[in-house]
Amino acid sequence: MKKVISRITNSEFLTFSEVLRLKVAIVTLFLLVLTLLSIPLSSFNDFTIDINVFIPMALGLLLLLTILLLVVNLNRSAMHFSIITIIVLTLYYTYESNHFYGYMMFFVTLTIIIFYQDIATYLLYGVSITAYGVYYIFEKGDAIVGLNSINTEISLYTYTGILVGFYLVFLVQFLISDNIYEKMNNEWVRMNKILEKYQEFSFRHMVEMLEENSVQPIYKNQKFQQTVSEICVFINEFFEKDADNIAEVVEYYFFLHDQEVDHVIENKELSITARRYASQLSKYLLNQRTEMVSMLFDFSTIFKESTDFTENRYVYNIDKLFNNRIDKLLALAMIYKYLKTEITQFDKWGNVKRILTHEDITEMFVSKEFREFISYEQVNFYLDNEQLFKDFL
Amino acid sequence: MRVNTSKFQYKQLETYKEILELHHIKIKTLIVNIINLVFAFVVGYFLLVTEVEKVMFVGIIFMFIVLFIVNIALLSYNNDLYNNLKFSMYINTIGEYIIAITLIIIFQTPSMFTLLFLAYAITAIYQDYKVMITSNLALFVSGVLLVLGFDSIFSIPGETLAQNNFIIVFLVLFVLLLTLSSYILIKRKTFFYNHLAQIKESEIRNMNVLIEIEQKRTKKSLNSKEYYKSLELFSKELSKKIGIENIFSRKIQLLRDLKKHNPTEIMEKYPEYTQDEINELKVLELSISHKIRNLGIKASKTQGINVSRKEIFSESQFKSFKHLNDLNYVKIISFVVFYCLIKIDKPYLKELEESNIKDILLNSEYFYRIDRDIIEVYLENNEVFDTIVNDLLKDRWTYEKSN
Repeated sequence: MKKVISRITNSEFLTFSEVLRLKVAIVTLFLLVLTLLSIPLSSFNDFTIDINVFIPMALGLLLLLTILLLVVNLNRSAMHFSIITIIVLTLYYTYESNHFYGYMMFFVTLTIIIFYQDIATYLLYGVSITAYGVYYIFEKGDAIVGLNSINTEISLYTYTGILVGFYLVFLVQFLISDNIYEKMNNEWVRMNKILEKYQEFSFRHMVEMLEENSVQPIYKNQKFQQTVSEICVFINEFFEKDADNIAEVVEYYFFLHDQEVDHVIENKELSITARRYASQLSKYLLNQRTEMVSMLFDFSTIFKESTDFTENRYVYNIDKLFNNRIDKLLALAMIYKYLKTEITQFDKWGNVKRILTHEDITEMFVSKEFREFISYEQVNFYLDNEQLFKDFL
Repeated sequence: MRVNTSKFQYKQLETYKEILELHHIKIKTLIVNIINLVFAFVVGYFLLVTEVEKVMFVGIIFMFIVLFIVNIALLSYNNDLYNNLKFSMYINTIGEYIIAITLIIIFQTPSMFTLLFLAYAITAIYQDYKVMITSNLALFVSGVLLVLGFDSIFSIPGETLAQNNFIIVFLVLFVLLLTLSSYILIKRKTFFYNHLAQIKESEIRNMNVLIEIEQKRTKKSLNSKEYYKSLELFSKELSKKIGIENIFSRKIQLLRDLKKHNPTEIMEKYPEYTQDEINELKVLELSISHKIRNLGIKASKTQGINVSRKEIFSESQFKSFKHLNDLNYVKIISFVVFYCLIKIDKPYLKELEESNIKDILLNSEYFYRIDRDIIEVYLENNEVFDTIVNDLLKDRWTYEKSN
């Protein structure tokens, strides 16, 4: 229980699959309570003994299946089974019975479907349960109309309006959050790729620096390999009796640095285990810009001094940065000068040695993507005075 | 084990997160108000059809009008818009429940009781912690009080008191489920803001790391004098071409002087420029501000980067030492390699003290990037890790040229 609470409180750090798993686990717990509740509540219904025994048993089986799917990590299937279970429960609570708490199950079911935050699931199951809810109101709704009601028909319409309203308002909420978070996620993924690009250059500078200093890369250093191996064995002692087995995989990890990893992964003559390890370890190699290298650079940024936040700290568009036309023009000229003077590209051998030519810069300036930095007006100005840019900057 | 992830978070994060959030709160406030408008019309029509007393009709409509006026006033008052909109969220949340409860008390029918759920749904649009707490509390407290205090609401033919009490059980389950659901969703949403704000700052810092390594390697830095010289030549020729006097040279001279003189001296030397104009020019300066340099780096590296929909929701985008399908050995090796690398000197990061490393791994998001069992082994035995590194690796590798 402590672990589940800790996972809920730290749910933002979980991956998509882990969050889905956590959600299914929570829903299963609720379903268990609702299934158990159906036993005392069965006394209020007019079901035959077979139904009163059969339905809770079927629900128990569905729950068991959901738990099994969770155990084998089939989280999406588990999610569908949990939704099917709650729908069966709703049918059970509303079929042939006329209690207000049974009607509340429509809202509980919709809440569970909403909880999964999957638009397709919400459209499929949500519409089905709302449609059944509307059918229930008009077919059996008379039984849950209060004695205070002035008019049965108005009561039925109120029930319908609120249920459909509940579904629609959450649909709106879905569409807004889907849109907002998809955009944010999209921006985040793009930024991630941009960061990887910077890190590729940083990494290449490092490699060239080591070559220029005639220093062996760290992954070739025997002492480094030995240290990694010993710590790995030490950690593994907490999980396995035969802790030394990991040393072989450590050796394999360093061996992979001298191989074409893609070839190793595709080599059908190798065992599946070897190929699997190669594929998983490739993310952490040190001889190219990998996830490991990126995390190291990211980690180092924690210690870098930086200036305070200002409104234009993350703005890179000349039009937004400057109000004065002369300043905008000077900025445009400086950007051109930077691109034309500084080494910013890889050469054909993959070394950081290439400077952009005037033609490259012109191509960049007129490209649609470059509107992120300069406006059409500035591009036109550049094109009108291209020769001046080329000759004097 | 208490993790405080904010301890090592970038200091610029919070302000930028607010800016990001503000834009979305505006959209949400607008949508809630549109829904309220529709709601007001439906309720108005309903009150007319049911022929309620005039005073009740006017009272309910007045509540809606007050809500709209407060919203419009808060939205139009631009000073501290972020807090205004937050305030309008809380007002709306309480307002929705007041209207719902009033209607339930007027009509006292079970169908009206479900209005509480609709009020909850409307306020859920905000996806905000305080709104969530207020809304869940309002739903639970008002729900229970109405069941207990107004049992006539649930007077249904054939329904017993015992059965009515089950409404409370269902309400408890419902509110619990809603609370957990909103809590997780809001946490994830906050995380998105956090992530985006973090990566924006990380970009600047990664550019600084890139320049730091490049300068260490090439022993060269940006030659601002050369830039200003070219700029002067260019502007002279440009003025000649357009047929105007050189309006750029004074500004270029000011750019040169920004590095040499303090702000007061600059103001005295260039009285024709206001402080705002000088501040704007500071952005162009090459040795103090890195904006133009960063703009150049970004512009030179970000062309041709596309994102597919598949990538947006791919877990592989999250860098960690605990990928879901990775074998346990892989999780151990990746963490250990990372640990050993932060223990040695690198051109972009000096070796770190063990206590410092432990502090960061415990109190930063890195805690969640490492498998829970593995990080626990490390936190409980970090001295052993340190000893192994000191015995085997310390001073055994350097990136610098050995003599």
